[in-house]
Amino acid sequence: MIEVQKLTKSYGGIQAIQSLDFQVNKGEVVGFLGPNGAGKSTTMKIITGFMAPTSGKAIVGGFDVFENPIEVKRRIGYLPETPPVYGDMKVRDYLKYVAELKGVTKSKLEKNVANVIEKTQLGSVERRLIQNLSKGFKQRVGIAQALVSDPEVLILDEPTVGLDPKQVAEIRDLIKELKGQHTIILSTHILPEVQATCERIIIINQGKIVAQDTLSNLANLKSGNRRVHLRLRKPSTDTAQILSAVPGVLKVEAGTAEKDWVLDTQENEEMVERIASQVIQKGYGLLEISSARADLEDIFLKLTYGQNSKNEAQV
Amino acid sequence: MSAVLAITRKETKGFYLSPNFYIVCFLCAAIFSWVYPNVLNKFSVALQSFVYQPEMPKQQLNIHYQVFLPQLNILNLILIFVVPALTMRLFAEEKKLRTFDLLLTSPVTSAEIVGGKFMAVMMAIFGLCFLSFLYPAATSVFTSLNWTTLIIAFLGIFIVGGVYAAMDLFASSLTESAVVAYVMAVMLNMSVWFIGIGVDVVDSPEARRIFEHIALNQHLVGLVEGTIRTSSLIFLLSLIFLFCFLCERVVESSRWR
Repeated sequence: MIEVQKLTKSYGGIQAIQSLDFQVNKGEVVGFLGPNGAGKSTTMKIITGFMAPTSGKAIVGGFDVFENPIEVKRRIGYLPETPPVYGDMKVRDYLKYVAELKGVTKSKLEKNVANVIEKTQLGSVERRLIQNLSKGFKQRVGIAQALVSDPEVLILDEPTVGLDPKQVAEIRDLIKELKGQHTIILSTHILPEVQATCERIIIINQGKIVAQDTLSNLANLKSGNRRVHLRLRKPSTDTAQILSAVPGVLKVEAGTAEKDWVLDTQENEEMVERIASQVIQKGYGLLEISSARADLEDIFLKLTYGQNSKNEAQV
Repeated sequence: MSAVLAITRKETKGFYLSPNFYIVCFLCAAIFSWVYPNVLNKFSVALQSFVYQPEMPKQQLNIHYQVFLPQLNILNLILIFVVPALTMRLFAEEKKLRTFDLLLTSPVTSAEIVGGKFMAVMMAIFGLCFLSFLYPAATSVFTSLNWTTLIIAFLGIFIVGGVYAAMDLFASSLTESAVVAYVMAVMLNMSVWFIGIGVDVVDSPEARRIFEHIALNQHLVGLVEGTIRTSSLIFLLSLIFLFCFLCERVVESSRWR
């Protein structure tokens, strides 16, 4: 549905994105992940035909974004970083206006508007001026305008910014509901959001794709993908050495508190058992042990900030 | 095409449903209500004195020259300063508030965007022209008027308003700041009048003819007299087209810049 080939954009001397390549299939929900300034918004703006790439191609629904922008725009609903709402319009009038702009036929117009108002729960404010709405409501109006033409492709640039936790959950549910009907690209730097909604993730850093895969594959990508948290009552100076000597332990790091340890280990059911027995044998006074798979946050940090972001006590 | 109508409808509503437009209308009405009766009174006094001065030039006895022309000049002056106020937010504010993103990511061409906005400004200018038309129209209670001439005169000022609208839209598209757009637009509007000074300055007859042709007042005077000259119409319409086109180029440029 969306195909991006060697996409590059530079602003003056600064390269915002460099030679991006990715594909999004019909009906997929893809998370576009990256730290601030990584080039997420730039990529989205190019896909929507809002700006042209310096070089490279973007194809949406078989149409080149630069050659045939009108056809592409017909198929896309876009929520920019700042919801593009007119303060001096009422919510319902605004949505009608957007629907007209997007070329929704007269017969469908009322139905579509009523539909999105219901989906985004704007019923209570539909007759109010947008400038008098709270940030969360404005954001929802922004999402509603992206949906109002019932587009094949939805491009949402940080859709849950400024919403309260309940609304965030609602928007996530909404996105899940839209799965299958629309192809969705979602940019964010909020990781749980991606975990909750996306099937596939593209991680981008400094204008380059550093990883793109499904969520579960990404979790496996990291070596030592089981992580064991350990709390000891009386660790000794050689604790780190002893722990790293346990077969299967790949890396030992000091935890957040003084007596905490974080161990990266091979994916193995017995690892917790082995570490626990070693700790007990040495008499370190085991207080707490827990194991977790490497989560998205770790992968993200590792890929975007590299190895030197944490104090590592690698032995 | 429906997108043009949608934009026109939205922006026209924006004008006619906002208090600002009515404040402008009120001020116009206040100025006309002050000036027009005075001019009319002076004219009626002049008519009475005609009885004693039969050699008075005929033009001074014509209500079109003595009353309507000054009023149209005032309306023109008002338009020079008011049209920029109407147009300044149309692009500048959209860019600033990021609502321009919506227009640029909708299946609408740049020409449709500019066309829609231009038509909306014309609707607002029509409102102002209609308001000032009420004064001569009310005069018809006291005297019989040549309606065709009057309507052509107002059509003329309406088209000149269109020239301002096109230039000011262009000014608005150049910047993100409404204030800068306003100042730029007023400068542009005044410059088309100052260009006429060239007629008195240049020596060569060719240059003089060129200046005469591009000076806006030459064309307006003809229309006010009730004569529609094709050359005038073509000149004014091509100015409108030129600036709408420039504006369209600026809007389009944001797609590839």
